[in-house]
Formats: sequence, C-alpha cells, structure tokens
Amino acid sequence: MHMRCSLWAAALLFAAFGLCPAQPAAAQDQPYVIQGVVLDAQSQQPLAEVTVALSGTARGVQTDAQGQYSLLAPVPPGTYQLNFTLLGRKRATQTVQLGAQRAVEFPAVTMELTAVALDEIVVTGVAAPAERRVLGNTIETVRGEEISGAAGVSAVDQALQGKVTGALVSENSGQPGGGVTIRLRGTNSILGGAEPLYVVDGVFVDNSSEALVSLSGNAGRGDQAITNRMADIDPADIERIEVLKGAAAAALYGSRANNGVIQIFTRRGRVGTPEIRFLTEFRANTPPKKYDRMMDPRATNADVIWGGADSVLATVERFDVQDQIWRTGYSSINRLSVAGGTDVAQYYLAGSYGYEQGILEANTYKRLSFRANVTSQLSDRVEVSARAGYIKSEADYVIEGEQANGGVLTSIVFGPTSWDANFDEDLGRHPYNPILGSNPLDVLENWDTPEKVSRFQGSIELKAEPFRNVTVRYLAGLDDYRQESKLLRPPGSVSASDGGLVQNPVRFSRLFNNDVSLSHLGQATPSLGFTTTLGFRYTDDRSEVIRATASDLPPEQTLVGGATQSASQSVFEFRTVDWFLEERVAISDRLYLTGGVNLNASSAFGPDERWQLFPRASVSYLLGETDFWQNALGGTISSMRLRGAFGQTGGQPPGLYSRFENYFDIAYGGLAGLVPSNTAGNPNLKPERQTEFEFGLDAGLFSDRANLEFTYYNKKTTDLVLAVPAPPSLGFQSQFQNIGELSNRGWEAALNTVNISSSSVSWRMRLQLAANRSKVQKLVTSADTLISGYLNAVVEGQPIGVYYGGIYARDASGNIVYDAASLPVRARDTLPDGSTPFARRIIGDPNPDLIASLGNELDVGRHITISFLFEGRFGNDVANFTRRITEYFGSDQIVEREVNGDTIPRTFVLNPNGRINVYEEYIEDGTFVKLRELAVQFRFDQPWIRRIGAQSMTLRLAGRNLLTFTGYRGLDPETNMFSASTVARSVDFATTPLPRSFAMSLGLNF
Amino acid sequence: MTSTRRTLRWRGRILLVALLGLVGCSLDLENPNAPTEEAVFTSLEGIVAAAVGMQSEYASDMDDFLVPPALVTDEWSTQSRALISYYSMVTGENFDQAWGTVEAPWAAAYRTIKTANNLIAAVPTFELGAGFETGMISLARLFKAMAFGSLITIYEQVPIDVSVDAPALAPRRAVLDTVFAELEAARAALANVTDDAMSEFYRRVVPSGFDLRNTVDAMLARYYLVDGQYDNAIDAAGRVDLGVLSVFSYPPPTRNPVENLAYQALYVAALESWALQAEANDARVSYWVDDGAVPFPGNPDSLLLPLRKYSTANEPFPVYLPDEMRLIQAEAYTWLGQFPEARTLVNAVRTQSGSPLDEPVANLPAIPDANLDSEAELLAQIAYERRYELYMQGLRWEDTRRFGTSITTTPTFQWLPIPLQECDANPGEPCA
Repeated sequence: MHMRCSLWAAALLFAAFGLCPAQPAAAQDQPYVIQGVVLDAQSQQPLAEVTVALSGTARGVQTDAQGQYSLLAPVPPGTYQLNFTLLGRKRATQTVQLGAQRAVEFPAVTMELTAVALDEIVVTGVAAPAERRVLGNTIETVRGEEISGAAGVSAVDQALQGKVTGALVSENSGQPGGGVTIRLRGTNSILGGAEPLYVVDGVFVDNSSEALVSLSGNAGRGDQAITNRMADIDPADIERIEVLKGAAAAALYGSRANNGVIQIFTRRGRVGTPEIRFLTEFRANTPPKKYDRMMDPRATNADVIWGGADSVLATVERFDVQDQIWRTGYSSINRLSVAGGTDVAQYYLAGSYGYEQGILEANTYKRLSFRANVTSQLSDRVEVSARAGYIKSEADYVIEGEQANGGVLTSIVFGPTSWDANFDEDLGRHPYNPILGSNPLDVLENWDTPEKVSRFQGSIELKAEPFRNVTVRYLAGLDDYRQESKLLRPPGSVSASDGGLVQNPVRFSRLFNNDVSLSHLGQATPSLGFTTTLGFRYTDDRSEVIRATASDLPPEQTLVGGATQSASQSVFEFRTVDWFLEERVAISDRLYLTGGVNLNASSAFGPDERWQLFPRASVSYLLGETDFWQNALGGTISSMRLRGAFGQTGGQPPGLYSRFENYFDIAYGGLAGLVPSNTAGNPNLKPERQTEFEFGLDAGLFSDRANLEFTYYNKKTTDLVLAVPAPPSLGFQSQFQNIGELSNRGWEAALNTVNISSSSVSWRMRLQLAANRSKVQKLVTSADTLISGYLNAVVEGQPIGVYYGGIYARDASGNIVYDAASLPVRARDTLPDGSTPFARRIIGDPNPDLIASLGNELDVGRHITISFLFEGRFGNDVANFTRRITEYFGSDQIVEREVNGDTIPRTFVLNPNGRINVYEEYIEDGTFVKLRELAVQFRFDQPWIRRIGAQSMTLRLAGRNLLTFTGYRGLDPETNMFSASTVARSVDFATTPLPRSFAMSLGLNF
Repeated sequence: MTSTRRTLRWRGRILLVALLGLVGCSLDLENPNAPTEEAVFTSLEGIVAAAVGMQSEYASDMDDFLVPPALVTDEWSTQSRALISYYSMVTGENFDQAWGTVEAPWAAAYRTIKTANNLIAAVPTFELGAGFETGMISLARLFKAMAFGSLITIYEQVPIDVSVDAPALAPRRAVLDTVFAELEAARAALANVTDDAMSEFYRRVVPSGFDLRNTVDAMLARYYLVDGQYDNAIDAAGRVDLGVLSVFSYPPPTRNPVENLAYQALYVAALESWALQAEANDARVSYWVDDGAVPFPGNPDSLLLPLRKYSTANEPFPVYLPDEMRLIQAEAYTWLGQFPEARTLVNAVRTQSGSPLDEPVANLPAIPDANLDSEAELLAQIAYERRYELYMQGLRWEDTRRFGTSITTTPTFQWLPIPLQECDANPGEPCA
C-alpha cells in the first residue's frame, strides 16, 4: 500500500516537474517557417513522407504527396543544418541561414536511392527516438506501404510475412480474419506464451487467441482459436512497424518482452492541403489444392468395414462432396482516408469496410474500421495527440482441426468416399458420418459458429519541451473490446439422441497503460553528446469471460435456453509498474554507447520477488567513417558499422494467480463447497528471464548501392516456469517453479541492393536469411519428456517441439522388418526388467533450419511499379495427420494401390501391428518456397486524371501465395492445427490451407 | 505572461489526466476466481465451504479406495478397455510404481487429511456455538480417520504428520492409533451435544443421507477389529443403529464414481466366478451383479458380469453397510472364543429376508449349530458372509490379512508400493 502511493506520488512529481520549469521558457519571437520541396534525384518526381528536421531540435515535419513541406522553427537566428531523411534514401543535409527573414523559401532538394538505412529514425518505443546508427541492437522497420500494399492480406501480422529477418510468421489457418503466429528468434518459453508483445502507438494491445468455443485444435487436448486479435487493425492505417526481436532490444519493456516486441505506428496527418484517398479492392481467393480422394469403384476393406460394400472389390458408387465445400471466395474492401492539417493541428481520418469470403462455403469475415488521429501544437513547446481506432468485425468461421463435432474438413478426412453425405429425403436429414465426425454438408448448412468483435483502441499523448532539449512525454492508452462467440449445433446433428448444443461465451478485455517519460539531449562538448531518458509506466489489464451454455434444445432454438443450462464466469486482472532509465552517449558521432535499466514489478508475483531489474547495454561503432577505413577500403566497402548489445527481459508465468493456494468451488448436494487446487501456490515465483547477446555489422558496398546486415545472437532463457511434482502426501500434485532453461541462438543476414537506378528504371532488392537453433537446456529432471498436442515434445538437449513417437522395427541395414503376414512391425524397447513396451523416438523437428525471403521492387518509368516477394522455409518437418487418417480410413487416393493388389497394404484397417501409432512415415519434409506477393501497379497522374478532380490514380493487380514449391504431400505445409500453441507446432490435421488470392484495386488520390 | 498562464493551465490538465490513471494501482491483486487458503480458513463461510468440499471430494474419490482391494482379490476384473495399470493389479505382473492407480488412493486420502487438519486447527478460532463447533470438528476428525483407515489397508506404511516439508513414514501401529484418537475424540465430543444443538451444522454442512454419529461408531468398530481390539469393536458396533444408512450421495452433476468406472470408462466389471462361487439362492448375488446377463470376456482371460449395484449415475454409495456391524461383532466374538454369540450374529445376517433399507439381504437358511461351533468354521463362514454382504466395499483385501487360510482368495499384492511421485518429490526420501 505504501509502495503504491509513493510510486504514484513520484510519477506525479515527475510529470509536474516536466511541465513546471523553474523559469518559464522565454517567450520566443515569431518562429521561422521554412518551405520547400523534395524530389527524387533520378526522375525528379516529388517524394512524399520525407522527414525534414532542423539539426539540434527534435521537431520535424514530413513532405506531402507533392513533396512539399513547411517546417516551423522557433529558434534564434543562426546557421543550421536541415536534414532530409527517408527510408531507402540517402540522407540529404543542407545548410540554411536563418536571419531577419522569417519566411524562408528553401531550394528544391533531391534524394538518391540507397541500400543503407543508418540514418533512419527509429522510435524505440520506450526511450527517446534515435537514428539507427546509434543503436547497438537490431530494430527492424517495415514501412506502411509494405503493410498496406501487401497483396491479399487482411491482417497486419499476416502482412509481415517475409519482411522481418529472423521472424517466423505463420498463418495457422487459411480462414480469413487472423490466425497468425509470430516467433521472433525462436520460441522462448515452454508453458508460457510465445507471441510477441504488441504496442500500437504506445498502447499495449491484446493479441490473445483464447478459444471461446471449440473451433479448432482438439476438444480433449485444448481447443484452439482460429483467430488472434491482431486482425482488429486495418493494415491500411499503418505508417510503420518496428520489431524488437529479443532482450537486447526490448529490455526496457521489462517482464513482458521475452518474446520480443512489435511496435506499430498508425498514420498521422501532415501540414498541407487535405489529401483524400479512396481505395477499392476486389479479390478472389481460391483453394490451392483439394484432397485426392479414393474414387476407384472397387471396394476396399475400409468400405466393407463400415458397411458401404458387401465384399472387397465389389463395385461401389463413390462420392466426392468437395465441390460443395470448397469455393472461390470473393472479397471487396473499400477505404477512404483524409489527411491534412495546418501549422497547429494535423489529422488523419480513415474508414474502411471489408467483406471477405473464405475458400470454404459459409466462411466469411466482415470488418468495419474507423480511425481518427489528431495532433495539435498547442504552443511552440506543447504538442498533444489523440488517436482513436474503432473496429467492428463479424466472422462466420468453419470448424476445423480434430474437432469431430462439426469439423468440415475433419469430416471429409474421416468420411469414406463410398458414403453419400447429401441430404437424404427418406431419412429427412443429412446422414450421419459412418466413421467419425459430422456430416460436412449438414454442418455448413445448419450449424452456426459466428464471432463478433467490437473494439476501441485509443490514446492521448502529450509531448512538451519545457526547456530546450528536454522532452516530457505522457501517454494514456486504452484497448478495450468485447468478443462474442457462439456455437450452435442443432438437435439431432451428431446422432438421433443428440439434443443439440448452444454455447454463447462473451469475452471482455481491457488493457490500460499510462506512461510518463522525460528525455534530455545534452551536448557536453562538440564531440560528446548525451541522451538521457527516465520513464515510468503503469499497466492494468483485465479480462473476463462469461459463458452461457445450453443443451437438449427445443426445435428451432438458437439462443441459450432449453432443458439444461449452465453459466460460468472468470476474471483475470494483471498489473505492472516499470521504472526505466536509459543513457546514450555519442562520441565524435562515431561511437555510441547505451546503457539502461528497467525496474519492473508485476502483480503475478509475490512481494518478495515482485521487483525485478532488467539491464541492457549496447555499443555501435561507425568504423567506416574513420579516415583509415575510407582510405583503405572506402572504394568497395563504403560504410561499415560494428555493433553489439546485451539485454535482459522477463516473461510472465503461465497463470496469473500461481502464487496463491487457490480453492475452487464445487457444488455438493445443494451445498456450496471449496476444494484446494492440486497445484501448490508458489509465492516465490518470478519472471522467466532471458539474457541475450547480439553482435553484428552493417556494411555498405559500392557507394552504398548495397548494404549487408549481419547479426549473430545468443539468447538463454532461464527460470523457465515448469510444473514440478510435489509430494502427494502434502495434498498437491505439482507446483510451478522457476526451474527450466532454454536457449536460442542463430544468425540473421539481410542484403539490400539498388540493382538499377536510372531515370527510367530503378530496381531494389532485399534478401533475408535467418537460422535459429533452439535447445532445451534443463527440465525438472533430465529424463522428462513433456508432450504438447500430439507429438511435439520438450526433451533436454533437443530443439523445442521435436516430434516424438512410434517407429518401425528395422534390421541392421535399416530396412523395415515385416512379419510373417508381410506386415510392417512396430519397434519395441526391451527394458531392464524384461518388459517390452513400444518404442518412441524423436522422429522430426518442426523448426526450420533456414528461413529466407527475397523481395524485389521495380519502378519502370514514372508509372509502373512491379514488386514480388518470395518466402521460403527449409528443413522444417510437418506432421501430416490428415494423410494418416485418410489412409487409415481408406478415403485417400493412395488406397487404389490396395485394390490393385499392392503387397504393402496401405489401409491401416488391414494392418493390426499397432501401425496407427507409428508416426515416422507421417513426418514429412515441409520445406517450401512460396511466391508470397506479386503486384503490378500503374500510377496515373496525367491531365485527364486531374480533369476528374483527382491528383493521381493507381491501378493495381496483385496476387498472394500464387505459387508454392514444396514436396509436402498435404494441402499446405504452413498451417497448424494447434494454432498459437507454444510447443505444438506444424501439425496438419484438417486445417484450412492458405488461399491463393488474386486482387485488383483502384486507388484515387484527391 | 501569456506563456506562463498557458503553461500553468496545461500543467493543471496534465495533472488531471495523470490522476485519472490513479484508479487502482495496488499490485497485490487477489484472485477473483478462487479464494486463497488463508481466506478460506479465516472466514466462517470459508470453513463451512471447506467442510462441504472435503466431503464432496472424498465421496467422488471413493472409487480410488475400492479399486485396489477389488482387483487384487477376487471381486472384480478388468474389461478390455482398461489401462495396463488396472490389468496389472489383477495379474500381479508388469507392475509400475509410477502408475496413477498406485498414487490415486494416496493422493485422495491426503487431500482429505489436509483439509481435515486445516479445519481442526481453524474451527476453534471461531465463535460458532458448541453444537456447530462440535459438528465441524467431529466431521473433520471422522474424515481424517477414514482417510488414514483407507490408507493403512492399502499401503503398509504411510506418513502421519504432514505439517512438515518432508513427511516421514509411520508404522501401521501409529497410524491405527491416529485413527482411534481422532474417532474417539469425535465420539466424546458428540456425546456432549444434542442433534438440536447441531441443527445449523447439519443444515449448512452435511448433505442428506450422511449420518455422522453412526458413522463414527461404525468406523471405530471397523478399525478396532482390524487392530484386534475385539471388546472395543463389539462395543462400537453395538452402538451403531442398524435401522439407518449412512451414504455418500451423488446428486447431479456429480456422479457415482463406481458407475463412472464400470459404465462410462468401461474399465471394470464383476468376476463371474464371484457369482458362481456363492451358495445356491444367496439373494445378495443378484443385489450386487446382473447374474442373469450373458457373461462377457474380461482381460486377462476371465468371464465378467455387469454390476447391478451402482449402475446408474446418481446412486448413493454406503459409507458402511449395517450388517458389517453384525459381522464385526461375530468375528470379534469368534476371536474371543464366544462361539454362540458369533453364531447367532452370523445366522442373523444369513436369514435376513427383507429390509426397508437399500442393503443386501441373503435370505438363506440358518446354519445348524453343529456346523458352526469351531473357530475355523466360524471364520470361514464369516469370511464367506463378508464376501457377499460387503462386496466391493473396499474391505476384502484387509480381510485376507485377518482370516489367513480361512479366506478363499490370495491377493496378487500384499500392499501397494509407495507412489513413485512421493518417493521422488518428498525430500525425506521415504523409499530410500
């Protein structure tokens, strides 16, 4: 209690201090207004979004679509440097004399393409903004155009695929509306979450993927959500994304940052005439592939077993209802935005509405989005911003994964082809699936699994400069949403005695954060500069799920009602407090040193372990700027930077209340009871702690026409929370303790080149390569094997999530052993006590050896831009459970071999040797290369465009996932039935493949 | 001047915004979903709920105490779906100390003991009134005694003091003494209060069907017999009112755990041989099993019959059966050499032809005095009556330890081993 109040008093004092200078800033004369235009050096076309800033001040403006800027400079007269920066362009620096004339018309400035991005300003989220050259750690930036321009995407995180070195961005399901998981430099927890922290405009936002109803995964092994909640931001509103990949970069985020941080910045208005943009997009999504079904009319054992045929090889009628399930889904998206502003206020207003059809019948996603970002300069020294985004989405999902009840592809996979799933007039209903699962046509027609979200994300930010070179920033952010899910299974759906089911859960989530920071830029001597940031942050999260369920429904009942009803409620609250301090030292503009600490407290931990310190340090040295370098190597390697960083972050425990001895309610004969948890509370629980070192270099080659970035990193996460067995005589089964260790190390390389830069053609390319090797260092005991999902295991000394399962017996030369009946034999172990259980071994690894992407952007003349992006994963295995089941139940085309007398029976029905639990043959190489994006854009700004009132028009033809090169035998090597699961990765079981999308869009700028 | 005023104005507004953020800033958040142990045992509602929870858990874990005695003796066998851990109790082979079936009775008993200990410590700190307090403490003592009693019939040695980090194993003697101490303390306390004085306790804590006073005496009788304290056993059994039942009830959504095991999990069923080995016309056979059904194959090689008793989800389970008291007395008299008293009691059980209660009745002829006038004859007959009267009540394994050659079964295991998790996780190394 005492602690909390002193904290707040300090924070308030801090805020007040920043705004209450001892000597009020002297009233300035009228400020200078510097105006001008920035052009491309080759084509002389205007360049938009160039940051123009006066050196020595934090204030900058951006150019508008016409390349024009107007910079307000409240400075005393003198000589100044005017800096022009734009990602992908060489920095331009010009000298400006400010004298008696207050309005300064500055001559046109031109900027050249470059592959080197050291001058780019990165916001770094927590501390003061900095040029990239200052940072010893990698922070990857993705421009808004790469997000909004990504072909065929509807979610921001989806658009990151192939654009961030070292980020494994996977789409777990091809259903529209999310389902993306991101792993930055590997998986960094076992029981905790593995998704990065998302921060939008300084607001901590929720990216949960809590399964409210059973839509994917497996009802017995934990249901999985198809979506994740980053789907709730319109990609078109994004100005830039910065990715902090590990502890070295994210230390100031404290105990929430073990999985890295993704900072998203939405668009802002710029000084100038209102810029109105209208965009309409039409898209067609097609299934990449369908299942190859057994269509040979000769009956197999599988047909006989379910009663679909009298005898093997008898003629049966085959049915394939896939044509009634897959479809070409059409989508349309319309967006309108207005941006503009004056010297004292700028605004960005946007609205969009998208309607998407998935590639499965009945699968749709609608999203209505509004955003208003307003910034106002209240005085020369005070700027206030308000940002607000509201979205409303409605999805109709299709159940998938191992959901025997209602899974559509699941039911196709289980259902024999000698079974006709069409409505049966005689029965008066769709026939029941004779094997397992539901009738897929019945599910599509009569079940209902909608989800509705309405969400507000907003912040108020105040920046003040009470003294020269001192900036105070205050931000209050709110992310608040309601998510309503539903599962309606009509009576009689799965059996004649099925009374039906309605589940109607509602989730409320609210995240609040409150940040105060104070930054000071100091210049001790001309060659020694200091930047100091002191900050405080408070976060307060709350989520609540209220669940109403009914079974035994009366006819036509679609809401909770009927004979058996139940309700439940759960609430989670979580708070953190951070203090952070960072000091950057710049020596001779060549050597940069940074040191910082975050002092973090979390409500998830007991008072003794609550306060945790997370340090960081980094060094950046611009070796290439030394005379020695320039003389010796400057001709080839035009710039060279060496960098290194160290940092620590924390991770939250799997449960927010693991520190308590919890008692749970139980009803007994009309009396209310409480029983103790099986898990002993641990008041000494503390965050999982990651320590990361990274070293790298940035080399500019051939006059900065090419840039090579290389980084090696080594992360170790210690104090991993694991369930440690407790003596049952104490009344417990286990206790969460900080005991495990996990390491991830690897390298990342990116090569940016400007291949051609002429007045008519420019061609830029980016190649990214990354390799990560994870290793489980320590578990509770070295013999432990923790299984997640089906086969993904955590084993000491192995990468996290390796597949662990049954294998065939093999002879000395490695050939499968067959028994007398010519059936393959499952291997057994012989234990010291003489028993012979089935053997299980590590049989694959879902972690890729290498991830790579190659992006190209080609400007042809003034009007045509062609871009394409390849992304590949190499050496990753996928567990093909879809194939396992289709072969077992005889619905796969491969079963034709059986009727043709193949000596190795494929259908498991024929194979009693425990073969269904031999998984080795279903672990397949999931290596793939996809043509992720391809776009051709035509830009028109001819006079006829102006005659219709527009400044310019763009016509864009684009495609996503148009080509896939893979040896994988399933529909798509990329999906995962266990969605966002930390350990259970790359399991293909009746998951929706990623669609192939063709898009056409028309944009008008007024 | 303008600038100063402006600064002040903005400072005020900023303070306001900062104050808005002040709403709730404590980091000591409670769990809104579940109270903590501390909260439970420091409130009246908490201890009442803990007492209800203790009974509920014991009732729902009842099967854990029945499975090993029924499988290692000749009562049940396993259906083909059963796990190897169940199957191995039948065969005595391939047994693994790590199995859940080894740990389940241990864990269930100690969860009851933990809550009972907490209640015994916490209840006196409340001003409950004599009747309420006596009821609460006696209930806790009874459940603690039942838990230790079940433990000591399954494991050879178990820890008594679990208030320490490394509970040490105690010999059977000490465990039985603990059982008697708790039960006698409960009995003595209950003797001083009337049911009227305990009415609030009954209303708030005890579900209908459970009889506290009779159960205390029944458990005393059961464990005095186990310990060879025959006079005490006869006295305690004599105090039990044979006209009432004391049961664990399973109102929806709870479920009788035996029904769950036999009918939902399909793990166990009755051995047909149990039915076949009964005396002709012993009516108790068809009380317990469906002996008219076609026998079905069990695993290992055996024939099984479906259970009739506990075949529906909400059937209650008796804490003890009234005729157990007569058989306890009969056995105690036999060991004491008082054969006529023993014979009378055995025949009373045999000749019972009907009951207003839900209990088995044999409806058999009395055995002539001449055939029941030696220790060996009486013990064999009592063992027989217990086999059919007290079928699947978790008692037969312990019976084999008392009856020696007078009983017709040899258990596959003498005791269950100490669960591996206890060996590994208990720093006192109880298995070393």
